[in-house]
Amino acid sequence: MSLHTRTRIKEQAVESTSQMIAGKTAPALPRDPHKAARRTLWITAVAVIAVLHLLAIAGTDFDPALLVDGWRGMARFISDAFPPDLSWDKVILPGLEATLVTLWIGLLGTTFSIPTALVLAVLACRTTTPHPLAYQAARSILSFFRAVPDIVFALIFVTAVGLGPFAGVLALICHNTGVMGKLWAESLEETDQGPQEALSTTGASRVQQLTHGALPLVIPQFVGLLLYRFDVNVRSSLVLGLVGAGGIGLLINQAIKSFQFDTMLTHIIIVLILIIVVDQASGFIRRKLAV
Amino acid sequence: MDTTQLARPALSVKSLAKSFNQRRVLDDVDFTVNRGELVVFLGANGSGKSTTLKCVAGLATPDSGSIELDGIHLADLHGRDLARARSRAAMVFQKIHLVPRRTALYNVCAGALARVTGLASFSPAFFSRELREEAMACLDRVGMADRALDKVGRLSGGQQQRVAVARALCQRASVLLADEPVSALDPHAAENIMELLATLAHDENLAVATVLHQPELAQRYADRAIGLLHGRIAFNGPVQNLGDDFLDVLYSPERIAA
Repeated sequence: MSLHTRTRIKEQAVESTSQMIAGKTAPALPRDPHKAARRTLWITAVAVIAVLHLLAIAGTDFDPALLVDGWRGMARFISDAFPPDLSWDKVILPGLEATLVTLWIGLLGTTFSIPTALVLAVLACRTTTPHPLAYQAARSILSFFRAVPDIVFALIFVTAVGLGPFAGVLALICHNTGVMGKLWAESLEETDQGPQEALSTTGASRVQQLTHGALPLVIPQFVGLLLYRFDVNVRSSLVLGLVGAGGIGLLINQAIKSFQFDTMLTHIIIVLILIIVVDQASGFIRRKLAV
Repeated sequence: MDTTQLARPALSVKSLAKSFNQRRVLDDVDFTVNRGELVVFLGANGSGKSTTLKCVAGLATPDSGSIELDGIHLADLHGRDLARARSRAAMVFQKIHLVPRRTALYNVCAGALARVTGLASFSPAFFSRELREEAMACLDRVGMADRALDKVGRLSGGQQQRVAVARALCQRASVLLADEPVSALDPHAAENIMELLATLAHDENLAVATVLHQPELAQRYADRAIGLLHGRIAFNGPVQNLGDDFLDVLYSPERIAA
């Protein structure tokens, strides 16, 4: 075959491929039949959100000008708080003791809700629940405990057991059962059902399938969520102190009511340190668990 | 063990039928698996191989048909009795389904849960010494005794599948069902597992039924093949009789379905 013919064959080949591409005209851009409807939907959504915000601004007396005008009051408050009162006997020591109580409330509120949260989580998880009715019932109970704020529980328990940290613990147990039960149920639902299914074929009972198949898989997630809740509960127990459930929250409230803003600042600094320590510690353990 | 028990097939399935959303998945499926025999199920995706095994293991409910394990009719039983009778058939899965965070030994012990009562139902810390010794013996039978205290998640795929087989042995089953046990494994590990299954059938007298997607593995290790086509048994005989022509038919169902 001469060089000439070879080039011709090549040319022909190129021609035929380009013809093939040219012959097949590129498809026209498809017309989106829902374009108008989608645009209307967007405009409506934006309008509704805007109206809601206008109503909210009116409803909350939201007025930045007021804040600017009132700067003097705030400055006085802050200058009264400085320097913080660092007397050991009168401020720091009681503050530390009360902080410990706050920590204890958060700890017991978290750990004592483990049994209830665990039972309800298992019942409220689609893959482990024994019956649809148990599932619905557990979901409802969890929603109720989640929906009632811990501060409302605290006010109720104060009427039963009186002012003090015990009411705070009871309040946290209730609210935390609702939140942790829900979080655990979700993590249980997302986990691999394989081991559980495999154990069902061995003739293992439902409880055995759960304790030997499903739960061992989710223990790291459960502990992670537990630590996260501990973190949150310590913060909540601060607020519970404000309604009389003991701890450092109570001291802060008393300091504000008696205009001892320098004492208040010391307590707030102690709280800040506590929160940072708890946050860092639980974060550290969770990172260790993730590995 | 008396002779009548030996003569009787360990697993006997008759006129098994199953539909999903009005689509027939299994249609009049009849077969037996004897002790000492390795039977392999072949067929294209959706031909009903896995569903057949799942019906035996209780992971799927057949619409009709009878399943007999060691001469016991499953249809006559309910609740715990059914679970106990069913535990005569153990299942090994493609995705292995062990608990990765627990040791091989504890995973094998879990195969015996149907016989376990009391606190051991709640935590492996309470598994009895006898059970742990039995599990150790099962691990030894699959050649994994030296890794007993390793967490399963640290083992290779082939090693994990061996542990899963040991769990099935600890169940004291007479029938071993395996649903694509080698599909997730590399060729070498696949050979090992097939060798293990053949040994369990031939040397330990178990009835082994496995779904495979590799006809050449079937031809090398199995005694008998059952070919499924659109939920019906299209072949049931010695693997030697499984010709290439027939395999072509088995794996191109669209062509003959049309």
